[in-house]
Amino acid sequence: MQETRSNYREALKSLERQTLEALDMVVQALDRALEAVSYQDVELAGMVVADDDRIDGRYLEVHQGILSLLALQTPVATDLRIVAALLHVIRHAERMGDQCVNIAKLLPLSGYEAPKDKDLLDAIERMGQLARSQVSQAKQAFAERNADLAYDLLRQDAEINQLNIDIFNRALAIGDDIETREWAMHMILVARCLERIGDNAVDIGEQTAFVVTGLFREFADASHPG
Amino acid sequence: MIQPRLSLKRNSEVSRTDPEPTSEASKEPAVESSAPEERDRARPAQTGPGHRVSVSDLHAYYGATEAVKGVSIDFPPREVTAIIGPSGCGKSTMVRCINRMHEEIPHARAEGRIMLDDNDLYAHGVDVTSVRRLIGMVFQKPNPFPTMSIFDNVASGLRLTGNRGDNLRERVHRSLRAVGLWGEVKNRLDSPGVGLSGGQQQRLCIARTIAVEPEVILMDEPCSALDPVATLKVEELIDELKEQYTIVIVTHNMQQAARVADSTVFMLDGHLIEHAPTKELFTNPKDERTERYVTGKFG
Amino acid sequence: MSATIESPNPPPKLFTTSARRKRVNRSMEVLSTLAAGLAVAVLVIVVGSVVIKGVSALNLDFLTETPAPFGAPGGGIANSIVGTFLLVAIASVIAVPIGLLIGIHASEFARPRVSNAVRFALDILSGVPTIVTGVFIFGLLVAGHVQSGYAGSVALAIIMLPIVARSAQEVLRLVPNSLREAAVALGVARWRMVLRVVLPTAAGGLITGAVLGVARVAGETAPLLLTSSIASNAVSWNPTQALSSIPVTIFTLSESPAPADHARGWAAALVLIVGVLALSVFARSLHERSRRRLRG
Repeated sequence: MQETRSNYREALKSLERQTLEALDMVVQALDRALEAVSYQDVELAGMVVADDDRIDGRYLEVHQGILSLLALQTPVATDLRIVAALLHVIRHAERMGDQCVNIAKLLPLSGYEAPKDKDLLDAIERMGQLARSQVSQAKQAFAERNADLAYDLLRQDAEINQLNIDIFNRALAIGDDIETREWAMHMILVARCLERIGDNAVDIGEQTAFVVTGLFREFADASHPG
Repeated sequence: MIQPRLSLKRNSEVSRTDPEPTSEASKEPAVESSAPEERDRARPAQTGPGHRVSVSDLHAYYGATEAVKGVSIDFPPREVTAIIGPSGCGKSTMVRCINRMHEEIPHARAEGRIMLDDNDLYAHGVDVTSVRRLIGMVFQKPNPFPTMSIFDNVASGLRLTGNRGDNLRERVHRSLRAVGLWGEVKNRLDSPGVGLSGGQQQRLCIARTIAVEPEVILMDEPCSALDPVATLKVEELIDELKEQYTIVIVTHNMQQAARVADSTVFMLDGHLIEHAPTKELFTNPKDERTERYVTGKFG
Repeated sequence: MSATIESPNPPPKLFTTSARRKRVNRSMEVLSTLAAGLAVAVLVIVVGSVVIKGVSALNLDFLTETPAPFGAPGGGIANSIVGTFLLVAIASVIAVPIGLLIGIHASEFARPRVSNAVRFALDILSGVPTIVTGVFIFGLLVAGHVQSGYAGSVALAIIMLPIVARSAQEVLRLVPNSLREAAVALGVARWRMVLRVVLPTAAGGLITGAVLGVARVAGETAPLLLTSSIASNAVSWNPTQALSSIPVTIFTLSESPAPADHARGWAAALVLIVGVLALSVFARSLHERSRRRLRG
C-alpha cells in the first residue's frame, strides 16, 4: 500500500541526510586540521578555513528546511522530536566546524618551525583521534537511533578530558626558550578546541537519546558530575 | 414498577443564586460591546468540584455489529477531553452512549456502566430524558429550530422540558452572552434562528444547550461544517466553557484536538488504544498505533 | 529535430459536437415541448369549454337560489353549494384528524416495518375505486335505512383519509432528522418534541395535504350517487337526510332533456372547477411557505 504523506516523509529523510552529511564534513575538516598541526602544514590549514563555508551553508539549508517542514507539515510525536533534534545537531556540527577553523588558525601563529616536543604532539594526535571517533560515533548513533552507542560517547569523553589535563601539565613542564613556550601555548589552545569538539559530540548523543526515549536527559560527564 | 428519577445533584446550582442577575438586567443598555469582558461578567462564580463521567467496559452494538468493544474512560471534571481516531473507530458511537442517544437508533443497544458522579446512567429504570437534561450535546451540523426565533431557540430547551422560570429571559440573555453572540444578535432576538451564518448558528446551538445548565457537554465534530474563522471562535468558546462544564469533543481534526483538549483519547476499531495528556500524546505517544495515526502513517 | 514549427496533429475533437448529437438533442427538445403543450392544451380546452358553456347561466341568482320547478327558467344551485360544503366539512372533520394522526404515528413513533406497512395500506386504500367505497357505505349505512348526508360524508372521508395520511407521512419525512435529534438531546420528551418542533416545522405541508384532500373529494360523484343523491331542492343543513351536492347535480342536470338544464349543468361545473382551483392554489401557496421554512 502506498504510504501516506510521501512528500513529507521524503522531506524529513532529506533533512536528516543533510544534517548527517554535515557531520561527515566535520570529520573531514578535523582530519585535515590535525594533519596540518602534525606537519605544520599552513596551506592545509588555509583550506580548512576556506571549506568551513560549506558547513555554514549546510547549517542554513537545514535550518530553513526545518522551518518549512514545521510550517507546512506540522510534524508530531517522533517526527517532531527528530526535527527538534536535527535543529540541535546541525548547530553542533556548525560549532564543531568552527572549532576546526580555530585549530587551523592557530597554525600560522606558531611559525614555520617544526613542532618542539614529541610527547606533547603525540598527546595532541591521540586527542584528535578520539575526537574524530567521537564525531563518527555520534553520527552513527543518531542514524541508527542507537541510545546505547550514544551513551558510550561518554567513555571517550572521559579520556579526552584526561588528555587535556595531561597536555596542560606537559606544556607547563617544557619551555626552556620562548619559541618552545609559544608553541606549547598554542598546543594548549588546540587541545581546548578538541575538547570542545568532544563536548559537542556528546551533546549530539543526548539528542539521540531524546529522539529514542522522548525524554531529555543530560549525560553525566565531567562538567556535569553525577 | 417504580421509575426512579435521576437525582439531580447539581453542585454548581448552589452558587447560581440571583444576586447578580437583577443588576445584570439593568446593565444591558450600558454594555454595548461584545468584547471578552462582557462575557466574563455574564458567568456566575464557579464553585464545587465539577462533574465527572466514568465509562466502564462499554459495549455498543448496531444490531449484530459491535462498534464499541469494551471501552473504559474517565472524563475529569472541568476539563476538555478529545476523542480522535479514523472513521468507523467508534468514537461517535461511544460518545452518544454517554447521553443515551445511541439507543434511539433502531436495533442499537449499549451495555456497560456509565457513571455521572454517583449516578449510574445505565441503571435499571433510569429516565433517559433526565439523563439528557444533564448531559447536553452539540452536533456536527448546526440545527437551530427553523420555526423559532433566536430567543425562542435558546429558550426551547427550558420551555420544552417544563422548566418555566420567571428568569427565562435572563437565562437566555446569559447564554447568548456566554457564547459571544449577544453583541451580534441583541437587536434581533425575534428574527429567525436560521437566518444566522453557519458559525453563528452553531454558537446558537451551544447557547441552547447551555441554557438548560447541563453538567456535561458532548460535542460531536462541532466545527466540521464551519469555516476556519468560525472554527476558531468556537474553539475559544470551548476554552471558556470548560471552566464550568466537563466537555467531551469528538474530532477528526487532530490539530483541533491538540489546540483545545487537556487530554486526548485515541480509538481504533472500537477499542481504546491510548489516553494521555494532549501534549504527551502528540510529542511522545506510548503506543505504536497512536504514533502511526498522529504522524499520518495511515489514514 | 527540425526548426520549422508546424502542428503535428489536427486539433482534437473535443469541442465540436457531432451533427448527429445536435439533431437528437433538438428533436428531444421539440418532442417534450409538444407533450407539455399538449397537456396545457387539454387543460385549456376543458376549462375553456366549461367556461364558455357555463358562463351564460352563471349569475348571482344561480348561486343563491334553489332550483326552479322542472322546466321553469331561473333558479340556482344554492342547495347544492350548501350541501357540498356540508358534506365536505363533515368528511374533513372525520378524515383530517385521523389522517394526520396516522401520518404522525407512521412517521414519528412506529418502527420502520410498521410505517412501511401503513404506507402500503394507504396506497391500496387510495386505489380503491370510489364507486366501490360508495357501495360499501351504501350496504353499511343506507340499505335498510335512508340516504343521509352523514353516509355521504363517511364515504368521502374514506376517500380523503389516505390522501391526507399519505401526504402527512411524506411531509413529516422531509423534516430533517437533525431537528428531532437536537430536541431529544435537550431532554425533551418525545411527544412534546413532535408537537412543538416537528409539527410546526411541517405545518404548511400538513395543511396542504388536508386541503388537497378536500379539493379531491369536493368533486367525487360516485359515492354520493349511492348515499346522498335523492335530496330535496330546498337548502338543507341537516345531514341526517340526504344532501344535495354539486357533482350529483351536474350529473342530474346533464341527464335532463331541457337544454336550459344543460346550461345550468355547465355553470355548476364551472362553480366546482373554480372552487377546486382556488383550494389548490391556496394549498400550493401554503406549501411554498412551509418549504421555505424547512430550507432555512
